[in-house]
Amino acid sequence: MFFQETPPDTSIYMIAGYAVFFIVMAVYLLSLFIRSRNLKRDLTVLEDMQKEGNKPMKTKQKSVTQK
Amino acid sequence: MDTEERSAGDRPLTIKTPAQISSAAPRPLSNFLKATLAVTWKDLAAEFRSRELFSAMLVFSLLVILIFNFALELDIKTRQSVTSGVLWVTFAFAGTLGLNRSMAVEKDRGCLDGLLLAPVDRAAIYFGKVISNLAFMLIVEAFVLPVYSFLYNVNLFKAGLLLVILLGSIGYTAVGTLLSSMAVQTRTRDVLLPILLFPVAVPVLIAAVKASGGFLTGDDFANILPWVNLLIVYDVIFIAIAFMVFDYVVEE
Amino acid sequence: MEPKPIALKVLDVISIILLGVATYLALVFAPTEAVMGQVQRVFYFHIGTAWVGLLGFLLAAGTGVAYLVTKDAKWDIIEVAAVEISLVFFLITIILGSIWARPVWNTWWTWDPRLTTAAITELIYIAYFMLREGIEDPDRRARFGAVYTLIGGVSAPITFMVIRLFRTIHPVIIGSGDPGAQGTFAMTGGMKVAFFFALFTFTVVFVDLFWNRIRMGNLAAKVEQLKLNVMQ
Repeated sequence: MFFQETPPDTSIYMIAGYAVFFIVMAVYLLSLFIRSRNLKRDLTVLEDMQKEGNKPMKTKQKSVTQK
Repeated sequence: MDTEERSAGDRPLTIKTPAQISSAAPRPLSNFLKATLAVTWKDLAAEFRSRELFSAMLVFSLLVILIFNFALELDIKTRQSVTSGVLWVTFAFAGTLGLNRSMAVEKDRGCLDGLLLAPVDRAAIYFGKVISNLAFMLIVEAFVLPVYSFLYNVNLFKAGLLLVILLGSIGYTAVGTLLSSMAVQTRTRDVLLPILLFPVAVPVLIAAVKASGGFLTGDDFANILPWVNLLIVYDVIFIAIAFMVFDYVVEE
Repeated sequence: MEPKPIALKVLDVISIILLGVATYLALVFAPTEAVMGQVQRVFYFHIGTAWVGLLGFLLAAGTGVAYLVTKDAKWDIIEVAAVEISLVFFLITIILGSIWARPVWNTWWTWDPRLTTAAITELIYIAYFMLREGIEDPDRRARFGAVYTLIGGVSAPITFMVIRLFRTIHPVIIGSGDPGAQGTFAMTGGMKVAFFFALFTFTVVFVDLFWNRIRMGNLAAKVEQLKLNVMQ
């Protein structure tokens, strides 16, 4: 801190800080969205399978649900 | 009191294990102690016969010290400041090796299930394992200390240092035994234990390093006391927690 | 899965609006700090995210105990939600703290008790997810998770005390761990507004995320149950 008289220009750090915040938040929200979308898809597939009962399709469909 | 009721109610007396022999005793507290010691004795006797775990831990810790010698250039000046750190890193790594192995052996041979079926309090199994793990760690330390003293011409045999090593090892094995019994029941068990253990063992390792360093450099006891207190607090808290939650960890 | 409740949708919108206002207050409304300059504005969100991380941390330890006592699967779902949100927000806190420390303390990282404890807590959370990853049986996964959050919840405060003790005995010369030395400032009126508004905003954002994450946890539990049924 040699420049006590005039505040140093630290805007770049401020911008970086807020950029990091919004990027991490966006990534997290995206991951929440993708995960719940996948879960919903799994759920519909599984519910269909349950309605159909134990059909020989089982093994083929399993690979789909295992993500 | 709990012991007696649980052993009578929970599990029919069908399976014979070494631990069960001791559970026939009438008084609950001595019953608990006997079960604990039976588990410890079982481990020590098995280890005494095979010696595989102990030799692995010992050779490993000697190798760690050897590597540190060249990695840190342990000349006389640096030795003063880093000895306690080097010792604790060695103990922690060797300890992890031992904790991992002692639980994995139980799991692989199905001994854990046998132990759990025995009509004894689960906490007795936990304490038995803690004592045997602690014994392994202390034996390794008892070998490492003279070797280190000999190699680097440092006198490590100071009462204070030995006390710190005992307290630190107790805390480390108390948490380590609980976590290793969780880790062996997972898919990634061998790699998992250090990852689970190190972040929660940070306080005990820092306190042990600082306290040992204090005793080695002949620091004022008033400066070392807070670290020793912290070690004691950590030991008491984590033994109490492990005592309470061990049931959940081994439950089927 | 039942459709998203209206209340949650409203909360989503409110969170976004509040976050926008908080950003405005922090970046534009609050006066520029005289010594540190613009970077001081990072502080509002740094404290806000730290607060959320701490909230999640406390909730995780609490729900861990609640699960062990009641064995109710809902506590497990809440616990995972709390840990995950706390993980994300402590991560942001640490990065923002580093960015702030660079111009003010002239170093990216100091072994300050708070910073270090937050970092170790992150490691505990990562270990927590790795532990859960390795267990197939949902019941056992929940039990082990609860035990580990309990252990982590007790060890993190001890870690904090240990590092603080470490610092008081060995004061550092470069980039003192105590912000009282360098980088401390008195909050003026505008700063206070931005600061408390950020705290409030992040509390709302936390509730919103938490609720969304719990709903997802419920969905995941349902899918897992169905999967087991179908496979049999």
